[in-house]
Amino acid sequence: MKRYVYINDDESPTQDLYCDNRISNRKYTVWNFLPKNLWEQFSRFMNQYFLLIACLQLWSLITPVNPASTWGPLIFIFAVSASKEAWDDYNRFLSDKKANEKEVWIVKHGLKKPSRAQDVRVGDIVWLRENDEVPCDLVVLGTSDPQGLCYIEGVIECPNPDKDIRRFDANLRLFPPFIDNDVCPLTIKNTVLQSCYLRNTEWACGVAVYTGNETKLGMSRGIPEPKLTAMDAMIDKLTGAIFVFQLVVVVVLGIAGNVWKDTEARKVSLDLVKSLYAKFIDWDVEMFDQETGSSSHAANTAISEDLGQVEYIMTDKTGTLTENKMVFRRCCISGTFYGNESGDALKDVRLQNAVASGSPDVIRFLTVMAICNTVIPVQSKNGNVLYKAQSQDEEALVQAAAKLHMVLFSKSGNLLEIRFNASAIKYEVLDILEFTSDRKRMSVVVRDTRDDKIFLLSKGADEAILPCASAGQQTRTLNEAADQYAQLGLRTLCLAWRELKEDEYQEWSLMFREASSTLVDREWRIAEVCQRLEHDLEVLGVTAIEDRLQDGVPETIEMLRRAGINFWMLTGDKQNTAIQIALSCNFISPEPKGQLLLIDGKTEDEVCRSLERVLLTMRITSSEPKDVAFVVDGWALEIALKNHRKDFTELAILSRTAICCRVTPSQKAQLVELLKSCDYRTLAIGDGGNDVRMIQQADIGVGISGREGLQAARAADYSIGKFRFLKRLILVHGRYSYNRTAFLSQYSFYKSLLICFIQIFFSFISGVSGTSLFNSVSLMAYNVFYTSIPVLVSVLDKDLSEKTVMQHPQILFYCQAGRLLNPSTFAGWFGRSLFHAIVVFIISINAFAYEKSEMEEVAMVALSGCIWLQAFVVIIETNSFTVLQHLAIWGNLIGFYIINWIVSTIPSSGMYTIMFRLCSQPSYWITIFLIVGAGMGPILAIKYFRYTYTPSKINTLQQAERLGGPILSLGNIDPQQRSMEKEVAALSITQPKSRNSVYEPLLSESPSGTRRSFGSAAPFEFFQSQASRLSSSYSRNCKDN
Amino acid sequence: MSNDNAAPSSSSAAANGSADSAAPRRNSKRPKYSKFTQQELPACKPILTPGWVISAFLLVSVIFVPIGVASLFASRDVVEVVDRYETACIPAQNRTNKVAYIQSSANKICVRTLTVPKRMKAPIYIYYELDNFYQNHRRYVKSRNDMQLRSNSSQDDTSNCKPEDLINGTAIVPCGLIAWSLFNDTYSFSRGNESLNVNKKDISWKSDRDHKFGDNVFPKNFQSGGLKGGGSLNESKPLSEQEDLIVWMRTAALPTFRKLYGRIEVDLNRGDTINVTLGNHYNTYSFNGKKRLVLSTTSWLGGKNDFLGIAYLTVGGLCLFLAVCFIIVYLVKPRRLGDPSYLSWNRSPGGR
Repeated sequence: MKRYVYINDDESPTQDLYCDNRISNRKYTVWNFLPKNLWEQFSRFMNQYFLLIACLQLWSLITPVNPASTWGPLIFIFAVSASKEAWDDYNRFLSDKKANEKEVWIVKHGLKKPSRAQDVRVGDIVWLRENDEVPCDLVVLGTSDPQGLCYIEGVIECPNPDKDIRRFDANLRLFPPFIDNDVCPLTIKNTVLQSCYLRNTEWACGVAVYTGNETKLGMSRGIPEPKLTAMDAMIDKLTGAIFVFQLVVVVVLGIAGNVWKDTEARKVSLDLVKSLYAKFIDWDVEMFDQETGSSSHAANTAISEDLGQVEYIMTDKTGTLTENKMVFRRCCISGTFYGNESGDALKDVRLQNAVASGSPDVIRFLTVMAICNTVIPVQSKNGNVLYKAQSQDEEALVQAAAKLHMVLFSKSGNLLEIRFNASAIKYEVLDILEFTSDRKRMSVVVRDTRDDKIFLLSKGADEAILPCASAGQQTRTLNEAADQYAQLGLRTLCLAWRELKEDEYQEWSLMFREASSTLVDREWRIAEVCQRLEHDLEVLGVTAIEDRLQDGVPETIEMLRRAGINFWMLTGDKQNTAIQIALSCNFISPEPKGQLLLIDGKTEDEVCRSLERVLLTMRITSSEPKDVAFVVDGWALEIALKNHRKDFTELAILSRTAICCRVTPSQKAQLVELLKSCDYRTLAIGDGGNDVRMIQQADIGVGISGREGLQAARAADYSIGKFRFLKRLILVHGRYSYNRTAFLSQYSFYKSLLICFIQIFFSFISGVSGTSLFNSVSLMAYNVFYTSIPVLVSVLDKDLSEKTVMQHPQILFYCQAGRLLNPSTFAGWFGRSLFHAIVVFIISINAFAYEKSEMEEVAMVALSGCIWLQAFVVIIETNSFTVLQHLAIWGNLIGFYIINWIVSTIPSSGMYTIMFRLCSQPSYWITIFLIVGAGMGPILAIKYFRYTYTPSKINTLQQAERLGGPILSLGNIDPQQRSMEKEVAALSITQPKSRNSVYEPLLSESPSGTRRSFGSAAPFEFFQSQASRLSSSYSRNCKDN
Repeated sequence: MSNDNAAPSSSSAAANGSADSAAPRRNSKRPKYSKFTQQELPACKPILTPGWVISAFLLVSVIFVPIGVASLFASRDVVEVVDRYETACIPAQNRTNKVAYIQSSANKICVRTLTVPKRMKAPIYIYYELDNFYQNHRRYVKSRNDMQLRSNSSQDDTSNCKPEDLINGTAIVPCGLIAWSLFNDTYSFSRGNESLNVNKKDISWKSDRDHKFGDNVFPKNFQSGGLKGGGSLNESKPLSEQEDLIVWMRTAALPTFRKLYGRIEVDLNRGDTINVTLGNHYNTYSFNGKKRLVLSTTSWLGGKNDFLGIAYLTVGGLCLFLAVCFIIVYLVKPRRLGDPSYLSWNRSPGGR
């Protein structure tokens, strides 16, 4: 299906055919809210179960408590959920409304008229000024930049709306036909998409092609799948266990239980607490990025505790680990290396001399640098030339060329002008063969206006350019240069050119034009046609661009690795660059501590053999305390994932570190999927559009709101400004969230089981008839007020200070392995609730026996006992008391009495005067103290004994931290290590000759040994971290325990 | 045409080489600092040091043992005379079929003799104690209607009262199983020839008389069905004055319970012989329930109940024992808290 967009045509049928530009993110309308929301809530299994119980309780014959005590909380909880949804939806409505009523300018018959955004129709021409938000998907007709282009009439033939933001294969036909060609191909490059902002351009105008919810953004929008944390899953499992337990009780004793209400109440309090965790992340001043002025943001409020359980981090390289601030460092022109460790190529006198003397090779090299790109030069008012580039690399190259006096001066239409020294040279750009991640190169075809010669100028990755070199050229030096630069962690690009014959070009041009205007498989067709031109190139040289590491990246990775998190680097860069970056940011340890294993091969067999060999090595070394990492490239990865998935999975499990180079966005997502399928908690972090899929796929997606726009940050669950904030996100926020949720959820089970057990015991002395000891009001208040408030403030609890955690990141292991919430800790809480139920029950029925055994009184004594025990349990389990905690715990206790006194003044209530009566009896208070003493004594004794004689690591650190032990001096090894690293970099540069010798363990005998070797021997020993690394077997063994 | 791309997303300035200037600083987005938002509220962080824990246990034992002793003394001070009579009050020839006897119309007066072991100061409370009587059974507990008891206007409201709700279509007041099973044994006491007056006034809770049982609600159709569950009520007295009923309607939480019958307001001396003339009417025989008559004084802690005292002494003793144990362990095997060598990652890289 195609859609035809008629430009500037009021009578065209499209006006009514397509929807208007009203965007709507709303989930509900006023009318369908109630049914739809209820339907959604009840489509969850748990809620169905609750409803079933609630309905059963309407049948008075079998129910021990008043149905109101069941329906009250149920309705309350549903109302809370529903109002939250309604509030969210209302906010969505407001933001939609704001966007819909925004003023936009529509051009009608050459006149600009103000209008509202929602009134933009398909086919309208929209006029945008700088910093305007784009109201819908537009095909750009003209901008302030090169030249004006005004009144046109035509039709755009484009595909039906889809959500692929990378593709827009359309054609433009103008009326009347114009120039020699009536069909003009359009691609995604000709569009500006909804919700982008127009920057650095005074104005632009475009034709609306997709509007409203049919825009690319609108189509790809949608409420993302809710992510379930590992902890939620565990809690659900335990809830299930409780339900089974309850079911048994129901069958055996006939008590329709009360536990389920607590689980629902727990869900509400968990939701509340989780949104507070998220707020803490948003509020964190230490995760505020001064440079970009962006604070951290938790878009997904429900998965904070998963952060504390991360086991694998998949990270992008460029822009994530590095700054994505490109600086031209070195180059190699026809065999001569410019630039060394003491200075950039730009400052290299030899190069400056070569430029001054007009060496033809150098001039050609600079010309390619200046022309072969999509950079747009803009003259600023003070005469300087500003560059606007989508690729940071291109910008760096153009700027470097400008510094070497080859200035890209202006581009207007197809004509561009460069100035070399004083002379201006004009080129006509004939075609641009665009960069794609498959081709890994881009080319331009230009005509030199001086002599009408046509040139093909290309630049690209070395493996993409060198095979296209002309047969006669020696590419060995260039290869070496590329290798050497990559080894320094620089990004390399090869520049090449070729003169084209006029007729060769004309012939090719036809094919290209045809390929460009196909609507089917356009990308593939174009790539094929481009291939036909890009051959027999004369390779001019290699450029090396540095992308500096972000601040604190090595420390962050080091720390997170010590915390037992495994790192995988997934990058589109070439292997050597990736490995060097990996080394310099502590990603992999150097020899002899670390070991790199390559998986490569051109054919399936080779890859298979290589994979098996690596796997074998990995199995052997997995028992040694050695850091083994494997390196795989996109091609081998594809084969491995397709044909040897099982082996590769095993490898992935064995390996703590992996470097995947030259991988595509979808491969990144596949790798995440692979690790997820092995039941690992994965975190994906990236900054660019190519990371979006990986970020969405992972359990936790973290976006860096960096230079490549906000695409990744928008798709992510968390967005942070810099990579180094990741350690705080995980070690502080993730860990605290995990600990707090672990306590909160188990405590909720404890308190509901406590009441449940007491009811069960009571049923034994009430003829197993299922009488409820507690009245309905008390039961309801027990869940809603008495027990939920003190526990809510446990979100402020900190077991260890942030500083201690940062010094001992290993402690994160308790969260990763789920040590604080698992069936065995749960059994502990189960036992505690059983014990407390026995204490409360035995004491209250014996102390209030015979003439005092009045039902309401005994019930109140037991309930007070429970409340007191709860308060003390919270106290004993709280690690740090702030004012709020004291307030909540004691205030709650006082609140309990106040509420009950108030209820006791109501004559019609069953509890009339009961509480006053009890409080005036000394025996009541003596009983309560007895309950507290008997209930808490053993708990305290056990806790103390374990705390002192079999302390967990957390306990030890707590003791050390609070007693000011010697432990605080440990772990400060980072500064020292940093200086070592600098030294390494320097050393390896000064010894370029020795670089071929080592760091290819186990691979020298490989059949595909032609693979280039890399690395230097000696310096790596400096790298050895003083902190002992945990071997991979360590973390895995622990997990089994 | 096809190159006219506005490139809206990224840009930078070439001339001055600083890309930062393009992105204006927006410090307004900086989160506001407060101790709460940064989770830096000043906190007290106690830890379980031996000193604290041992003192806590010692303190608890020091408090608990005296309370235990005091409670035990209070309980021992209470003088209690208990007489189990449910079998003794059935003539020997009827004991093979007690249920038939109790349901017959025979004269069920029975005389019991009690000896006062210690001087009992007035007021002396008279309780009857029932055993194996599940007043807390679910069906039983619910079988009443509080509205009906409270006011005349809702006397026809007999919901929840089945099966004792209606007779021939008219409401029973008070309805329900609880009222129907009203205890109806009677006691009268004499010391030698002097009869002891039993004060049955104010034996129920004042709040019940004033607010739960109406003074304009009169018994109606009560115990007029085929099967009598227990005592009858004087139809000319309002419910608020039927104190035996009010006491009975306060259901007990345990299957063994005592309920107040009345008070003797004279002191009884040691060795006094009390003759009890007992009307044994109440049928506990069909469920093997025991019946006891209890005369008891009271203390600040209530009736005779050693439980609290013993429990306090136990818990106090246990705490003392734990404290001593902890002291010994602490002295024998001192252990430095927070020793970093307990951290496995400080010990060896491989194992733990």
